[in-house]
Amino acid sequence: MVHVNSALLAGHALGQDDALDAADQEHLASCSHCRAELDQYRRVVTLGQGTQASETPTPPLDRIWRSIQAELAPTSATEEIAATKTMVADSAPSLTANDRPASDVPGNDETANDKPLSVVAASDETTDAGGAKPIPGRRRKWWPIVAAAAALGLVVGAGATVIINRNDVQVAASTALSALPGHTGHGTAELLRTPNDPELRVSVDGPQPADRYREVWLINSDGQRMYSLGVLPESGTATYPLPTLLANGLDGFTIVDVSIEPYDGNPEHSRNSQVRGTLPE
Amino acid sequence: MRARRVDWRNASDSDLAAGFADGDDSCLEESFRRWGSLIYTIAYRALDSSSEAEDITQQVFVGAWQGRTSYQESKGSLPGWLLGIARHRIADRQRARARDLKVVRAATSQANVKVESQPLVTLIDRLVLVEEIQRLPHPRGTILRMAFWEGQSYSQIAERLQLPLGTVKSHARRALRQLRVRLEEVTSWST
Repeated sequence: MVHVNSALLAGHALGQDDALDAADQEHLASCSHCRAELDQYRRVVTLGQGTQASETPTPPLDRIWRSIQAELAPTSATEEIAATKTMVADSAPSLTANDRPASDVPGNDETANDKPLSVVAASDETTDAGGAKPIPGRRRKWWPIVAAAAALGLVVGAGATVIINRNDVQVAASTALSALPGHTGHGTAELLRTPNDPELRVSVDGPQPADRYREVWLINSDGQRMYSLGVLPESGTATYPLPTLLANGLDGFTIVDVSIEPYDGNPEHSRNSQVRGTLPE
Repeated sequence: MRARRVDWRNASDSDLAAGFADGDDSCLEESFRRWGSLIYTIAYRALDSSSEAEDITQQVFVGAWQGRTSYQESKGSLPGWLLGIARHRIADRQRARARDLKVVRAATSQANVKVESQPLVTLIDRLVLVEEIQRLPHPRGTILRMAFWEGQSYSQIAERLQLPLGTVKSHARRALRQLRVRLEEVTSWST
């Protein structure tokens, strides 16, 4: 079947009566494909003709752009994680808007900056929101540990089966890991007490995006500090040794976070988390 | 971290989207340059308030940037995503206003207070179309503006622009096809 030429359909929608001949008209009557295309042109015509001269003032684009830049000025990493989550939750079209409270509740937009932890921490976690002051340069000190842990991550993951089969390992605490807005997946994290250093066993069932890898983090509920425990292997399961310091308690490092990281060599958290959960202290 | 700076002004929407999702902040600037005015206009027309329109526009770009890793090209275009965020933001404001209005109405016993003049989705499509028509090159854009907005016939347009009637008609058809595709591209975002 030969469809009616698109240009003719467009002409017809524009009201050019001579656009279609009798054969075209006949075809149109029996062809849903061509009618659908014609309807789309008609829709554009209707929209276009219904448009009135705009009385919109000239947008103050310079001022808006400056406000955007000011709002996006660097903050601490965890604040940005928090901000990301808040903003995604508020604005991502993939979420159902109807179920959400209005985003213009006074102060809502400030929440991310003032109280990073109220978002980062799971709901059952009591936090000292807003009380924690950023500590300049503090995060930087963790990076040597981070780098070492990241380098070890895969090795540890490979050895995981051996480690967890030992008899003297106890699960001291565990939490479910849930997907963040815009992500899918779920998992568990278990804090293991061993005769040596504590370990964290992480298992995530979720997609590993192409051209990205995943990294496991232990974030402090003060929102200012985090350890990178290492790379999460593609299998989604691995066990990580924790710093000895945490042998007698997590000292606030209760948030288990699995991030999606680009291969950019940047040791910082990408602020793009797949799943997250909070261990009981 | 990326060190290279690319001039994005001539980049396709799709390349710009990739750079945006990748965290190149010059893509944020270019996106604002391309769609900031459109989003402001939509918010202004929907909310009839310049300060709220300004606020919404800021929120859309800040929100998109902070949530950029959740952008997926398979779901639609970058402007489609931005417009989707704008639509939700504006709808939130409208709902909040509707609630306020209910309170006012209950207090004053006034019925039939009009809240929205036209559906938000239609308004967005319409303003996207205006923007796209304005971006059409001469004489195509001129022909369509005269036909749509000034209600001129093709022969009047042909006379005024001193073009053959056939040329005017053919431009109008092509423009319509182009607009149909652009409208689909720009507003597409599957949720």
